[in-house]
Amino acid sequence: MLSYIVRRLLLMIVTLFGVSVAIFLLLRIVPGNIADILFDSAGLIDPAEKQKIVVDLGLDKALPVQYGQWIFGLFRGDLGYSYVSEKPVIDEILPRIPITARLAGLALLFAVCTGVPLGVISAVRQNTGLDYLLRVFSLTGLSMPSFWLGLLILMFFVHYFGTIPIYDRAPATYWAWIQMLVIPAAAVGFRSSALIMRLTRSSMLEVLRQDYVRTARSKGLSERAVTFDHALRNAMLPVITTIGVETAFLMGGLIVTETVFNIPGVARFLVEAIRWRDYPMVQNLVMFIALVVVVVNLIVDLAYMFVDPRIRYGQ
Amino acid sequence: MSEIAYLARRYPLGVGGAIIMTVFVFAAIFAGTVAPLDPFTTNPRASLAPPGGTYLMGADMMGRDVFSRMIHGARISLAVALGATFLGSGFGAALGLSSGYIGGWFDLIVQRIAEIMQSLPLLVMALVITASLGPSLTNTIIAIAIPLIPNVARVIRSNVLSLREMPFVEAAKATGMSEWRIAVVHVLPNTLAPLIVLATAQLGSTILTEASLSFLGLGVPEPWPSWGRMLSESAAEYVQTAPWLVIFPGLAISLVVFGTNLLGDALRDALDPRQQD
Amino acid sequence: MVNKHEQRREAVGLVARLSFAVLLLLSAGPAHAQKHGGVLRVTHRDNPPSASILEEATISTDMPFMAVFNNLVVFDPDSKQNRLDRIVPDLATSWKYADDDRTLTFQLRDGVKWHDGKPFTSADVKCTWDMLTGKVDGKMRKNPRKTWWFNVKEITTNGPLEVAFHLNDPQPSLLAMLAGGFSPVYPCHVPAAQMRTHPIGTGPFKFVEFRQNESIKLVRNPDYWKPGRPYLDGIEYTIIPNRSTMMLALETGKFDLNLTGELTPELVKDVKAAVPSMQCLVQPSNTQGNLLVNRERPPFDNADIRRAMGLAIDRKAFSDILSRGVYNVGGAMLAPPEGIWGWSPEFMATVPGYGADVEKSRAEGRRIMAALGYGPDKMLPLKVSTRNIPDYRDAAVILIDHLKTVYIQAELEPLDSAVWYARLARKDYAVGMNVQGTGIDDPDVMFFENYLCGSERNYTAYCNPELEKLFHQQSMMKDLDARRKLVWEIDRKLQEDGARPIVYQSQGGTCWWPQVKGLKLAVNSIYNHWRFEDVWLDR
Repeated sequence: MLSYIVRRLLLMIVTLFGVSVAIFLLLRIVPGNIADILFDSAGLIDPAEKQKIVVDLGLDKALPVQYGQWIFGLFRGDLGYSYVSEKPVIDEILPRIPITARLAGLALLFAVCTGVPLGVISAVRQNTGLDYLLRVFSLTGLSMPSFWLGLLILMFFVHYFGTIPIYDRAPATYWAWIQMLVIPAAAVGFRSSALIMRLTRSSMLEVLRQDYVRTARSKGLSERAVTFDHALRNAMLPVITTIGVETAFLMGGLIVTETVFNIPGVARFLVEAIRWRDYPMVQNLVMFIALVVVVVNLIVDLAYMFVDPRIRYGQ
Repeated sequence: MSEIAYLARRYPLGVGGAIIMTVFVFAAIFAGTVAPLDPFTTNPRASLAPPGGTYLMGADMMGRDVFSRMIHGARISLAVALGATFLGSGFGAALGLSSGYIGGWFDLIVQRIAEIMQSLPLLVMALVITASLGPSLTNTIIAIAIPLIPNVARVIRSNVLSLREMPFVEAAKATGMSEWRIAVVHVLPNTLAPLIVLATAQLGSTILTEASLSFLGLGVPEPWPSWGRMLSESAAEYVQTAPWLVIFPGLAISLVVFGTNLLGDALRDALDPRQQD
Repeated sequence: MVNKHEQRREAVGLVARLSFAVLLLLSAGPAHAQKHGGVLRVTHRDNPPSASILEEATISTDMPFMAVFNNLVVFDPDSKQNRLDRIVPDLATSWKYADDDRTLTFQLRDGVKWHDGKPFTSADVKCTWDMLTGKVDGKMRKNPRKTWWFNVKEITTNGPLEVAFHLNDPQPSLLAMLAGGFSPVYPCHVPAAQMRTHPIGTGPFKFVEFRQNESIKLVRNPDYWKPGRPYLDGIEYTIIPNRSTMMLALETGKFDLNLTGELTPELVKDVKAAVPSMQCLVQPSNTQGNLLVNRERPPFDNADIRRAMGLAIDRKAFSDILSRGVYNVGGAMLAPPEGIWGWSPEFMATVPGYGADVEKSRAEGRRIMAALGYGPDKMLPLKVSTRNIPDYRDAAVILIDHLKTVYIQAELEPLDSAVWYARLARKDYAVGMNVQGTGIDDPDVMFFENYLCGSERNYTAYCNPELEKLFHQQSMMKDLDARRKLVWEIDRKLQEDGARPIVYQSQGGTCWWPQVKGLKLAVNSIYNHWRFEDVWLDR
């Protein structure tokens, strides 16, 4: 077990290394750099002036040199300076991460708190009217584009309440943050909630059929105990996997939701940084996101291993 | 005939989904004849006309008929979705199957590559790909297919891992069957069902991804009438006076994805023996 | 009975009371109707590349940060048009031309302080323009308006309150350039890098913070040299890139004002329908849609094909489709009545391509193309490049439609902004659909920035030495009417030459809630009136 964890950690480092090379190269394949964009917004075309900026930022050095500078800086804790704002990357990223983290956290919380109970109900009341209703409802959640849902929500609020639940200034208290993020979180989490509901339902159904549940029933435990204690725990397995997979997909939903609800989080910021070809910003942000995804994957795989004894990796 | 009746009784939702899909696919294939007006012709006088009369679903800012654009949009959205799903699922399955079955170093490397691809956020990848290759139909398909690969590979791989330990595989090994034959003859068919289910599920998500990309200004460019792009910039601004510009394309997207999901569910119920009622 | 003394006292009292009342009435002028206080909340469209106005050319930087600075002179806010003859003092209290009109001397205001407390002197003016003319390396990242100052030979100071601009040739428009929003005075003692992130000015508002892609905050300058100003406590810009979100937020009252000119005429209708009390103004934004024609590459190295393309364009259709007919049609200079230098309708009818009969022009275009071997079965394939932004794309789509009428089968090539720019620099395009703004409605600015041989914004490398002589000639003319006639001729020649076919002149909408008072917009530019020192909130 320990050796497995150590091995996975080492592999994590390999993955992160791969991500760093990938994003570094990808960015430089894309035509246009910050000098182009700055000059484009000013409407100028003087190659000599542009070259000065390029040299200033070290963009003319050989690729391995640039990469080396970045990575060694990373180890020292120096993430470099944003090409656009000329401020340290850390100062730009750090305040924004909690915002997106809160949004993502609330969304997942919403998804799990609505998805799991509804999934259980749907499974226990299989093939009844309620089951069909819930299944159709969850399918709707999976079918709607999240930005469309967001727009519809905004339209609804404006039309019926004359207010608009978007971010316009930094909330003062933690509670104020939650209040502001609740609606966007629901918009983002609706889809995940539908997914979790369906998965909970199908894995509950599967487990409810299996032998040991019948055995538990025959022991005379009450229906309720059977459902909740045995089936639920075992049904959680695919759900946990999904949470892992969803974390990566969540990013897309976060980007559009932050755009529609105007939340100044890290997701929206990343898109802008790409548009501006702000290499230090994009590289470091992507590394951070990759770190989160990789860690979540590891946790998911460990949980998977614990619960399903049939899966043993090369042992 | 009786087969269809049987199916309809057994999988009512699935048949519903199939019907929805058929309608859209029909519209997509025969867009030229079905659409009442040309989706590209601009007509300033009809700008932002409300639904009714010649413009069944209203007209957009440039005076183009929304209904006709929706029908042609079906073609674009479905083409992108099908293309990306085939590409992504195909590559992903091949990768997952081989890495799960072969194991060892190969598995390790493929796993890492998959993890790397998964760690790069989907929209970031798409942005980068469309920026470097230029916005076009093919590039959008590639941009959407690529992030699918690691996800499909991962699921197929874990499936294969379980299957590998199954008794019938052990038995086949005991009889001296070559690894290659076991993989193709025994393991692969058992992954097909989940693969089809997965692919159908992915179909829906690729349509949504294309919509998000177009919403952000990437994805299929002008003048192709992609549903996703019909929902972005020049439509959504008029959201108060011309809400039909936002409602109809969104409904279309939701309906198609709904259809694929219904179909996918029914397929899973039918094909995946573990899920039989 | 009232004795004489009492009568007198009563009379005196009455007079006193009357005079007091009159005095009260006289002093209770408009200055007392304004309310002090309140923070103005403005929506912004996208992230300003930096906070330094001198280094940028976009309204994204100009509008928020103009309030931080002062100019030497400004356009009179009470004049709806930015005009040469309506320029009023700002940091300069008076100015005088020498007899040969080649020296312009400014007397500067005393007692003005920079936001960090240091005093403003003539040295700051010299620093700023030495940097702009390139005499001194101010370490700016870019200098987009260097060409504006081509005529400035030298700046000299005479004591802390007097500065003189020495010119090569007389140039009446110089004052206009100094009066525009893009010509603030910078301090000598603050490096350009800091001006990009934390600008220091002498203006009515101080810079507080600029959160990338999020917000810009300004706060009232209590030591502003104009007594009693500004009225507002602060101004906050919130960056909302998504237009539908911005619209909804403005309409629900979360914001007071939107970024100027950002709303299309259609959107303004939308806003007014949702909020009937909203104050909106649709005015020329002094931006124009034009075509960048690459004369060095086929097919447009062929002058005939260039002509054919020019004849295919139905300018009115652009206006109709993009703005339901609101956009103006004109040449390089903004059309009247808002623009000062644009053609009269009668003159415009004589310019080829601007005739009312579009069909006739197109038939002529087809004849030209047919003579070159093209026809309905053999169309000339072409790529129309443009930036991948809705406004640009919409215009390009219309252009493609029009090109079909002269046997040109065009395809849209939307490019990411950075790519667009790089391709322009490499001249790797055939025709580009371009949208550009001009800071000031003035022929010197328009001609020298865009049409001078070798100037940086002359993307297509158009070069006509004959015409350049005329540029310089009009630049020296003092008689407005005579100068205008010459400008009309130059404009016509530019269109005939197909230098940069102008397709439409945009109008943009600005909306604000009725409680925002004192906002004074100009009709021939969006860049020059964002000091906000006279704006107050009635709530």
